[in-house]
This record gives sequence, structure tokens and C-alpha cells, in this order.
Amino acid sequence: MAELNNLMDLDGAVAAFEFSDSGELVSHQLADGCDMNEQTLDMLSHVCVANLSIATMQARGWESLTGMGGFYPIGGFTLMGMDWSAVVQGTKGVVLENNKADYEAAYQALAE
Amino acid sequence: MSVISNLMEMPGMVAAGEFSFRGDRYTYQGNMSEEMARMASIMCRSTSMGTHMEADMLGTFCTQDCGLVPGKGWAVRGPAFSVCVVHNVFCFMDNTKADFNKVLHYMHDELAHSSDDLI
Amino acid sequence: MIKRLLAVDGVQVVAQFRDDGQLVEGYGMMDENGLNMLVSFAHDYKRLTQANADQLSMFTQVNGWTPPRGWIVRGAQMTVCSIGNLVCLVDDSEASLNEVLKELDDLSHY
Repeated sequence: MAELNNLMDLDGAVAAFEFSDSGELVSHQLADGCDMNEQTLDMLSHVCVANLSIATMQARGWESLTGMGGFYPIGGFTLMGMDWSAVVQGTKGVVLENNKADYEAAYQALAE
Repeated sequence: MSVISNLMEMPGMVAAGEFSFRGDRYTYQGNMSEEMARMASIMCRSTSMGTHMEADMLGTFCTQDCGLVPGKGWAVRGPAFSVCVVHNVFCFMDNTKADFNKVLHYMHDELAHSSDDLI
Repeated sequence: MIKRLLAVDGVQVVAQFRDDGQLVEGYGMMDENGLNMLVSFAHDYKRLTQANADQLSMFTQVNGWTPPRGWIVRGAQMTVCSIGNLVCLVDDSEASLNEVLKELDDLSHY
């Protein structure tokens, strides 16, 4: 599993975080001076877990109705804001600045 | 060319389309049946409304300017395919052929300044 | 009219919102800012519930879920429930949810 240190090495990383299966924040790291806090990251973790569940429900429904596979199991979820994106996979995630974000690299780092 | 046409020019794009937040209108291009596109637009609209609300909630926890607010879009990644939505435009892409970075950055650049009203 | 919901045991707040999520009126133990946040949440949650019900019908091919009439989120001490464009906040220890929902349903038709 990815280490938070490695995630913070990604270009434009604002925060790296780990959460439980039910979405509670377990640990985190923040870049100096970023406008994030533990409470926000805990909320963000819950948002990510909720959306991974929704996406899993949709993937199951879609695959069984259309016969088009390749969506389940859901590997990762990304939330794009105006200036930042949160990329999560499994129980870890990283918040990246959009203008520097390398999403492929983030998924790769999260999978390591 | 429209954003959807431009997306369809990108390698690995399976289908791309647009949905409305109210009602069930949608348009699309690509390798997908009419019924699949209808389902895709219902699913994408649903998740987008959720992420929009969640980002607003996140905004109440951030101390000043939180770059995740307002919510602009989302993406999910399966083993073979990924789905990305920004504002009301969705696309389905083949992971082995598509450039995920290029697609997400293009969609964000083109659509992130659209109105936040979910109409 | 909706004020009469406050007479039901356990109901602490009741509010009505427009289709665009704006507060129409609200009563009970909550200030204006709280009421605005409550109806904003209720409006968003109503649309999400509708979207989820659409998907449930779509995936199961079973009708009857749509359009959803309302939703309930039950917490350890408090419950939020909504029917139509009405939402109320209920203290679990004092309320009969059945009674609250019946009154909410009646009022939502006005």
C-alpha cells in the first residue's frame, strides 16, 4: 500500500490521507500553508467512501443490464474541484492542485 | 467543434455526451446504444448532484479558500473503463487506449467555469 | 399551517422550501441561518433520493420506487424526515415517527 510520504511527493500534492472502510480519517499529511484541516479531510474521506459505494452500485447495475463489463470492481474515484482534485483508491487518497495534477501517476502511487 | 466532438476525437474514447440536471434530456456520440446512453445520463446526473452537494458541505469545513469547492466534476476508474464527468458532460473511455490526464485536464479547462446552477 | 407539526411530540423544527431550495417558512428551535442550511440540505437530499430511486428502478426493472414521496435519515438521537417540500427535525426519544410522518404527509398535500 502507498505510503503517505510517497503521495506527498507527487507534483502539486496538497494533502495525503488514509481512511477506514467506513470513511473515518485514520492519518494524514498536509503541505505547508495549505488551507486544509483534519476535519475537512475526515469529511472528504466520508465523501470518497460514499462515492466509491455509489460507483460500485452503478457498475454492478450497468454491467448486469448492459452486459458491458470492465467497470467492476471500481478501482478509484476522483473528485474535481475548481482548483484541486482528490484522487482515492482503496483506503488512501491524495489532494492535488489541478494545474499540476498527474492523475495517472496518482493512481499508480496509490496502487503501490 | 463542440466539447463532445473534441472528446470523441481523443484516443480510447468510447462515448461522450451531455445530460440535463432537470428532466431526462441527453445527447451523445459514440459506441453506445440509445438505451445505454439514457442510463449513463441518469447515473452521471445522479452522481454529479451528489458530488456537488458534498463539495458544498466540504466548503463549510474549510477555513478559507478550499480548492475542492465548488465541485466541478468527478471520475471513476474500473479495470477496463473509466467514466469522467465535468459539469453536465460525460465520457466513457477505454483505460488501455485513453490518456486519462489529457481527458480530465481538457474537460476541466473547457467546462469548469460553467454555471454552478444545476439546471 | 405547517406550524401545527410542532404540536406533534418530538418535532423540534419544521420548514418548507421552494423547488429551487429557498426557504419559504420555518418554525421551531432553530435560527434563520440554521433553517436555511436545513432546507438547502433537504432540497439537495430530495434530488439525490429521486436520482437514486430512478437508478433503483432502472437497474431492478421494478417500478414503484419512483417518484419517491420522501426520505428519512435516522440518527442516534435525532431524525430528519421529509415529504414533498417539507422537512422536519425530530427528537427520537420523544417522537412517534409514524405520527410525524402521517402529519407530514397530510400537510405536504396543501
